[in-house]
Amino acid sequence: MMASSYNAKEEDGHHSGSSSHGGAGAVKSKKPDNTAFKQQRLPAWQPILTAGTVLPAFFVIGLIFIPIGIGLYVTSNNIKEYEVDYTGVDMSSPCFNCAQNFSWNSTTSCNCSVPFTLEQPFESNVFMYYGLSNFYQNHRRYVKSRDDSQLNGDRSSLKNPSKECEPYRTSDGLPIAPCGAIANSLFNDTLELYYIDANGSRTAIPLVKKGIAWWTDKHVKFRNPGGNNNNLTAAFQGTSKPVNWRKPVYELDPLDVDNNGFINEDFIVWMRTAALPTFRKLYRIIQKKASMTPTLPSGKYVLEVTYNYPVRSFEGRKRMILSTISWMGGKNPFLGIAYITVGSVCFFLGVVLLIIHHKYDNRNNSADIPN
Amino acid sequence: MLQLKCLCLQVAYEDWFITLYNVCYSSLPVLLVGLLDQDVNDKLSLKFPKLYLPGQQGSLFNYRNFFISLFHGIFTSLIIFFIPYGAFLQTMGQDGEAPSDYQSFAVVTASSLIITVNLQISLDTSYWTFVNCFAVLGSIAIYFGIMFDIHSAGIHVIFPSAFTFTGAASNALRQPYLWLTIILTVGISLLPVICIQFLHKSIWPSVGDKVQRNRKKYEMEEEEKKKPSAFQRGQRSRRSAYAFSHSRGYADLIASGRSIRRRPTARGGPQDSIREVPQREAENI
Repeated sequence: MMASSYNAKEEDGHHSGSSSHGGAGAVKSKKPDNTAFKQQRLPAWQPILTAGTVLPAFFVIGLIFIPIGIGLYVTSNNIKEYEVDYTGVDMSSPCFNCAQNFSWNSTTSCNCSVPFTLEQPFESNVFMYYGLSNFYQNHRRYVKSRDDSQLNGDRSSLKNPSKECEPYRTSDGLPIAPCGAIANSLFNDTLELYYIDANGSRTAIPLVKKGIAWWTDKHVKFRNPGGNNNNLTAAFQGTSKPVNWRKPVYELDPLDVDNNGFINEDFIVWMRTAALPTFRKLYRIIQKKASMTPTLPSGKYVLEVTYNYPVRSFEGRKRMILSTISWMGGKNPFLGIAYITVGSVCFFLGVVLLIIHHKYDNRNNSADIPN
Repeated sequence: MLQLKCLCLQVAYEDWFITLYNVCYSSLPVLLVGLLDQDVNDKLSLKFPKLYLPGQQGSLFNYRNFFISLFHGIFTSLIIFFIPYGAFLQTMGQDGEAPSDYQSFAVVTASSLIITVNLQISLDTSYWTFVNCFAVLGSIAIYFGIMFDIHSAGIHVIFPSAFTFTGAASNALRQPYLWLTIILTVGISLLPVICIQFLHKSIWPSVGDKVQRNRKKYEMEEEEKKKPSAFQRGQRSRRSAYAFSHSRGYADLIASGRSIRRRPTARGGPQDSIREVPQREAENI
């Protein structure tokens, strides 16, 4: 038995030896090379999940996550935010009449004033947002309905927009610039803020409209056709305005050539589609004052709305939000609470695993002795 | 683990990400685990034939394990969507501008997904060679590299309609809030897995787990077994040299070849271990 196996091995050796000597162009041995890679003997680290690594890891992760969560939660609580819903749903709301009497063909715009009070002063830069609810900017056909070549200033796309823009591609035989459903539904309410001081006089609060879009959007993605010259009217010759706009795109901001046409920042902010049906978009920035006075002192304010944007037909809501900003962005306690929860669960699991490991460790050690 | 977030009917990820996911970002580590992973090395595999029982009993690939994997995938995809969803719900960007747009959301969920998937495969790798390290870290690095390329300004100028995520990655990933979101998502996806794996190995260890746990002990025993035989060989030769000078000696033993054919059972040779050792040691696992 043993002899035969020994001989067989010998014969094997002889065979390969003889065949390599015997014939010219002999059959190469099919044995894989004796390298570390092919014989799977590479130097390796072989970690296993022992209690010594897992339990400290759980405790450490718990101890790291909880302070991060507390930090986030406290920061979020310190951010000041104020929201004003001005859709005009109730009869008592100031904008009820504007909401009821909306029509697409009206030449005069409807104005309404919404008074509100800030309990606390807002320090440093204050950001003014408009928020919409129940508005699905993430619907697939909506998101696809744009022509990025046209928005990049390409002349051929200006006159011949992409098919994705249908049905907002042409109007009265002329191509629409900018085409598509996203551009067509541009938010066009005008919001102004006034402070009412103790003796009843109104002061307008200065709102900055530049610097609200991403740098890459304003300088790379969106370009006017024919460059940034003063004569945008000529550049957009032969195109028509989107169906639901009141003015054409070269009249979005005639006084500032750097904010007119496709590079208008309100337009760019709108074109950056939101991820969720309830979203906010940056509208204006209220810059902090040089002196130590708060940017928005506490007191009475009034919001003047030029109500152009209809949302009642799809049960949407419109809001104006004033907010300060911190290193983590705006007011959102979710992440802070999530970190605290996960940290505590982790720590608790660590304790539970320690108990389980203690109980089963003795049993395992006794069962493992060979021989 | 590719998930399409159909909550909004719009594909959550960028088109190129979906294409490259299966090719570049997640395939290589899995391939290498399939080809090169060894939880028990070849010598120990021969020593413990009981290791072949899980394969014969079909306990590693069956319907139960398939559905467990399926639910694990569903759980992870829900985490990867809803944690960034909660974080984005009412937030603003760090400079106040451009809050919660769909492209930043896509960047955050895609990054969490890639990191989770690659760390998950590292948890399942028990034999870490430099090739495995390179594959895991390389996949993550390639993902970030390609993503920043696709989101760069340069490529948008060349192909404006194909690459529309300009500036999304650089704008999103410079905000510490979104990195904290990614870390939390990866943590919630992986910590239950580590916990369950650890519990399995403590309470219901499989044959492979037991061998792995005591691998160093078994390897040292192998070394010790080899050493005594070397001593004996040396002793015998010394004895035979001594005896040779006083008596007839063992010359005819060597010349006839009898000493080679009939080996004493105490000495372990390669052909012996296959037959004899398994009967002795297998019962002791």
